[in-house]
Amino acid sequence: MSRAVGIDLGTTNSVVALIDKDGAPRILTTEEGSTTMPSLVWYASNGPVVGERARAGLDHSPDCTIFGAKRLLGRRFDHPEIRRLARTLPFELTEAPNGDTWIQLAAGRAIAPEEVCGLILRELRRTAEAFLHEPVTSAVITIPAWYDAAQRQATKDAAQIAGLTVLRLLSEPTAAALGHGAHRGADRRFLVCDLGGGTFDVATVDVDAGVFEVLATTGDPFLGGDDLDRAIVEHLVRDVRQARGIDISGDAIAIERLRLAAQRAKHELSDAERTKLAIQELAQLPSGRGVEYSRVIRRDELELWTSPLVRKIEAPMLEALSRAGRRREDVEEVLLVGGSTRMPAVRKEVERVMGQEPATLRNPEEVVAIGAALEVARLDGTIEGVLLIDVAARGLSMSTVESECEMVIAQSSIVPTREHRLLATRSENQPRIEFDLWEGESPDPARNRHLGRYAVVDLPLAPAGDVLVLVEVTLDTDGVVRLSASELVSGERLTLEQIFHAGLTRAEVSRLAKQVAEAET
Amino acid sequence: MNQARTLHVRCSTWDQVDVFTTRKLRKGKLLSMKVPFETIAGARVTLGLELPNQLVVAIDGVVQRASPIAAEPGKIESSARTWIEIELTGLTDDVMARIRTMASEEADQHTPQLGATPGVRRKTAPVVDDLPADEKALFQHLSGELRRLRAAAVHDVLGVASDADAVQVRTSWKNLVRRHHPDLVARRNAPAISHLAEELTILSNRAYDRLRAALVAEGRGTIVGPTLSAPAGWLVGFDDIASGDGSVGPRPSQPRLQHVPDATPKPRTSPTLPPTNIQGGEAFEQRARVMLGQGQAQEAREVLAAALVVYPRSKSLRSLYYVATAMVALQDGEVMLAISQLENALAHHEGCHEAALLLDHVKKFGADRNQDLVRIFL
Repeated sequence: MSRAVGIDLGTTNSVVALIDKDGAPRILTTEEGSTTMPSLVWYASNGPVVGERARAGLDHSPDCTIFGAKRLLGRRFDHPEIRRLARTLPFELTEAPNGDTWIQLAAGRAIAPEEVCGLILRELRRTAEAFLHEPVTSAVITIPAWYDAAQRQATKDAAQIAGLTVLRLLSEPTAAALGHGAHRGADRRFLVCDLGGGTFDVATVDVDAGVFEVLATTGDPFLGGDDLDRAIVEHLVRDVRQARGIDISGDAIAIERLRLAAQRAKHELSDAERTKLAIQELAQLPSGRGVEYSRVIRRDELELWTSPLVRKIEAPMLEALSRAGRRREDVEEVLLVGGSTRMPAVRKEVERVMGQEPATLRNPEEVVAIGAALEVARLDGTIEGVLLIDVAARGLSMSTVESECEMVIAQSSIVPTREHRLLATRSENQPRIEFDLWEGESPDPARNRHLGRYAVVDLPLAPAGDVLVLVEVTLDTDGVVRLSASELVSGERLTLEQIFHAGLTRAEVSRLAKQVAEAET
Repeated sequence: MNQARTLHVRCSTWDQVDVFTTRKLRKGKLLSMKVPFETIAGARVTLGLELPNQLVVAIDGVVQRASPIAAEPGKIESSARTWIEIELTGLTDDVMARIRTMASEEADQHTPQLGATPGVRRKTAPVVDDLPADEKALFQHLSGELRRLRAAAVHDVLGVASDADAVQVRTSWKNLVRRHHPDLVARRNAPAISHLAEELTILSNRAYDRLRAALVAEGRGTIVGPTLSAPAGWLVGFDDIASGDGSVGPRPSQPRLQHVPDATPKPRTSPTLPPTNIQGGEAFEQRARVMLGQGQAQEAREVLAAALVVYPRSKSLRSLYYVATAMVALQDGEVMLAISQLENALAHHEGCHEAALLLDHVKKFGADRNQDLVRIFL
């Protein structure tokens, strides 16, 4: 018998959890005995290394050690945030033929972020299989709430590469509320803030007699612990220049060492008021002598450096409230999840914005994975009487060659939902109609994200305007878009052709899945 | 070429027959199709409709329109096709009723097939007989439910009266989703059942969405995100308006409207305030007129804005609102803006004589002699 697990696929750390036979959630530990596994893949010369063991690669060959691949999943290469990110990453990014972001390895090989995430998921699957002694074939995977349709599809593709069937893509704040056990307590109105390694998510969630109703979800795709680390590193680089007179900003290895030290210091400063940061050999002088660097960092210094970033959490929180029509006084409990919420500065900021003290969770890093495991139990019927009602984080629009984008599905529509648009032929005996699908509600295509271009083909021959094509757009419970087209009058199903489509093709996904499966045996 | 041709249409399931009689026919009589022969308008054709019980019903028809499709070069002649529209003169109500009776008799005997309408037609219709007994029952229940709800009006889908209020709509939608959500049947691992559950949920979500929009349009509900609630305190401030003597007692403890803070007009002491017994939009209108007559255009505009929240469809209120806006603009010397607002007023309500008078005045004098204007309202 095969089993299903709950997976929190994080930017920096991933967690796998399942529900024991006695109904208690259990976080599975990696071979190294840790409950979280770093989301790292080191493309070493003898094959990829995943997780804790890939940490060596960060020191060794940072240009082949991929971290934060989740932030690259399903993103367009020309997105300004990706451009900005590309400048600060130790590895190189490149543009795939369809405009997606891929990773360029030193050996001249370009890999899709789906493949990197697939390897991480496979490692988690192995961890679960080692614990259960039986095959694991399906999973609930958590994703940021603001993920667009392309990113959701990319996550599903990554799972397929890892040999996992996705039972459900669950949004992280919802998973956190579920993992927190909100369904067992009294009916409450929650605001869930999830500040993880790379992303910030907010959701307004109402719990009413076991029904979780997500009223609004927002977030910042480029705000998280990694960004805090980078801010600290920037200050340290400046400090090194002042103290030692050398500029290490172009030295990838030195920057990586500084980043790891900064991360450690950040963690320590969550409990201590001051900590010492010491690096034995930060860089080499032209003479060959190593440069040693050590410095005491105080918590107030850290808070000063990171305050511009910490302040960025306010806007998404207020937006989540206003979209749900809530004032901050209406929120009965504020949940803080994600590793970065351990920082006192973040807690203070949330308290300032919300005017109330957020609830303290014992395990802010693990609660999302527990939520995912509970979702597995909920779907297979072990837990009864709990229902999740989710909304679309973004609207969908459609446009034809000559028209502006027209909204089809509004933001905050309850999923699953279906809407339709009518397209008419414009010339006599027109054989096909092309249209584009966009995520976003703006009439200006430039402000929306292009999901794909499609064509309805083999139209019956008739005078202009006589053939009416009914295009139905379905948004399912995973937030994934499905399309179908039919002739309005006859009801006959028409063929839809995909001309351009973001993400990997089905063939690429199955090729990678096969490749990964072969490497395993 | 003018000889009668016979077209054979074969329906292998009763659902196809259902689709044929409901969706394929336009205006109940017209059928469009491609045929592999040449024909012209006026030609007679006979349609042989083969039913799943091997019975063939002959239906006479006349070609109404025919657009020949030239044979593509390189292709043999017989591949030429014609796009025709047939009027089925032989499809009388009698014949239709007969087909329907047969269909309903058969449907009772056979298990229903998935795909009552093209919306759920799938390439590989799952075979119901392969399912275990309890799933079969569930499948039949769900597909029956789906067929029933597809034909129902939105408020019937949610099972509420057509004049149901916000709370009823929301409660019944929630109950419906609780019954049909695909997550509830996910454990069965049966794609056909999950699909039906999803379709049912889509149907209820859409019905909820439409009813919400209707309630908002009628001013009987507010929506923010996926929620729906009764309009909290639309009428707050009404008591203030109606108190003609100007001595407003302690404010009623009704909830205040949040997003229109200026909606509550300050009770100004004035001997000409309307009497207390006037209800409805007229009270607002009268009060606004009095204010305009006293030159308080800005205050009148606020009163009208608040009134429009309550009576969004009142033409006279809306035109008066534009008149008030125009007055404000005139006080600021913005003649062009005033004129456009007045034209707006007339566009909304031709009979708005204040707008017409004002427009004449403004065209004659521009922004001057504003003092004369207020007389229009007295």
